[in-house]
Amino acid sequence: MLEFPTPETVSFYPSFQELAIDRTIVERDLGYRKTPAPEIVRQLIDEILPEVSLRLTIQCGFCILPPDFVSLSNDGLLCGEIQISTGPIIASQLKKLKTVAVFVSTAGPLLEQWSQQLMADGDMMKGYLVDSIGSEIADRASEWLEKRVAEHVAPRRWAMTNRYSPGYCDWPVTDQQKLFSFLPPRFCGISLTPSSLMIPIKSLSGIIGLGPDVARGAFQCSICDLKDCFRRMDESEFATEQR
Amino acid sequence: MNEILESLQRCVERGKVNIKSPYPPDMKGQEGADELAKKALEMGVAPQDVLSKALIVGMQNVGVRFRNKEIFVPDVLMAAKAMAAAMVHLKPFFKSDELKHKGTIVIGTVLGDLHDIGKKLVSMVIEGSGWEVVDLGTDVSPDKFLKAVDEHPGCVVGLSALLTTTMVNMETTVQHIKSKHPAIKVIIGGAPVTEEFATKIGADHYSPDPQGAVEFLNTRCTPN
Ligand code: B12
Repeated sequence: MLEFPTPETVSFYPSFQELAIDRTIVERDLGYRKTPAPEIVRQLIDEILPEVSLRLTIQCGFCILPPDFVSLSNDGLLCGEIQISTGPIIASQLKKLKTVAVFVSTAGPLLEQWSQQLMADGDMMKGYLVDSIGSEIADRASEWLEKRVAEHVAPRRWAMTNRYSPGYCDWPVTDQQKLFSFLPPRFCGISLTPSSLMIPIKSLSGIIGLGPDVARGAFQCSICDLKDCFRRMDESEFATEQR
Repeated sequence: MNEILESLQRCVERGKVNIKSPYPPDMKGQEGADELAKKALEMGVAPQDVLSKALIVGMQNVGVRFRNKEIFVPDVLMAAKAMAAAMVHLKPFFKSDELKHKGTIVIGTVLGDLHDIGKKLVSMVIEGSGWEVVDLGTDVSPDKFLKAVDEHPGCVVGLSALLTTTMVNMETTVQHIKSKHPAIKVIIGGAPVTEEFATKIGADHYSPDPQGAVEFLNTRCTPN
């Protein structure tokens, strides 16, 4: 059996190019799926995207908890003394795990400062587009990180589950306090307020189940209960996304 | 006269700001909300008619189409921009009291929460319906809300939150305001908020979208 250095904490600075965000993706995020976005919006996105890359400090990273430390419990996971209450929907996807990778990703503070400045100066449209691109970056950085986690555990012949985040599917947002307790302070430049808001805003946190016998379950949107979400994708849209 | 009001309404709905603006392409070179509002007033159309028969109707249609997911945030922003261009010409009439807002709403994102955009959008649509909006920003404490209510007697209050953890601060805010001003109406909204939660914390209304707030304001919060 492989010995684990504990805890294993790895972080990255992916480039904007690696996240492969193009205009079509931004348009879709804005809600334009069946109809194209107005020309003026498309032009603005084209203008903004190159500028965005100058105002980014994309960071992401994960920490693999020692397997001895992690077990399944009724309502989720027990990590040492700490009960993580993911709720039954997510717990059902974590069956057979050996351990978890706790992860975070962020687009960094500069982008949201830029967006706020634009809006304060009266350019709501550009400010909103920058904000929306920031959300996509945080999301894609997590997706990019999943691949790094996969590479990291491949030598152990481990598989992974999807990623799951507190605040989704009955997993309380406050559990982020527990996840952050496993990470070094200000990991990837992210801090968590007492109201469990991550700063920078364009940040994500969560876990990925790991082990030889876990499997990628149904894709995220299909198990989420936010039926009216404007970002909801069906399975075929999701498959196209994964390209 | 009706014609110019109809054209003005169309400019708001389509987001046509002025003659120079290239958007929307099929209205290129035509006069926009800016020119038409000015023209209507010069023609002697009553400022009240410019506001309520053209601008407000235009913005209301935008709010409804947004709620129905026929249009999206950028379209609303363009409409709001066109509306603002027309409003410049109506400003003097508000100053001279010839035109009056339907009322005032004090709006803000509650303590512990920094999300701004959803609240800004709601503000724009409400403003476009003829209400005065006082935006207190984000991370607003119950005390700050109360102070604003003191300064704007008879106002309505709007609260926004994007996380379940900050949503709980809506309850303390509602209590704080209502303990001193029991008659003040409070509307709440934001992604995790529900009707049930609004009832539980003693808020007067919940709306998932800006138009619902406008409808509540117009039907339940105007004098008479
Ligand atoms: C994009 C997005 C993100 C982006 C950025 C979010 C941002 N605010 O910048 C990213 C990917 C970074 C992200 C991260 C997270 N997110 Co998120 N995210 C979303 C998503 C998909 C859209 C939010 C958005 O931008 N909406 C667009 C704006 C314009 O809409 P809005 O603010 O809701 O405002 C509208 C209405 O709500 C209403 N309204 C708003 N205020 C008011 C006020 C009044 C008076 C009225 C009448 C109406 C009203 O009108 C507005 C216009 O229509 C929502 C789900 C959804 N569909 O809403 C989840 C959502 C907000 N996220 C959620 C969560 C949990 C998170 C994370 C905690 C996940 C995690 N563990 O990492 C983090 C938190 C980040 C942080 N900094 O702490 C939850 C929050 C609920 C909860 N459980 O607390 C949501 C609701 C999804 C869910 N599970 O249901 N997220």
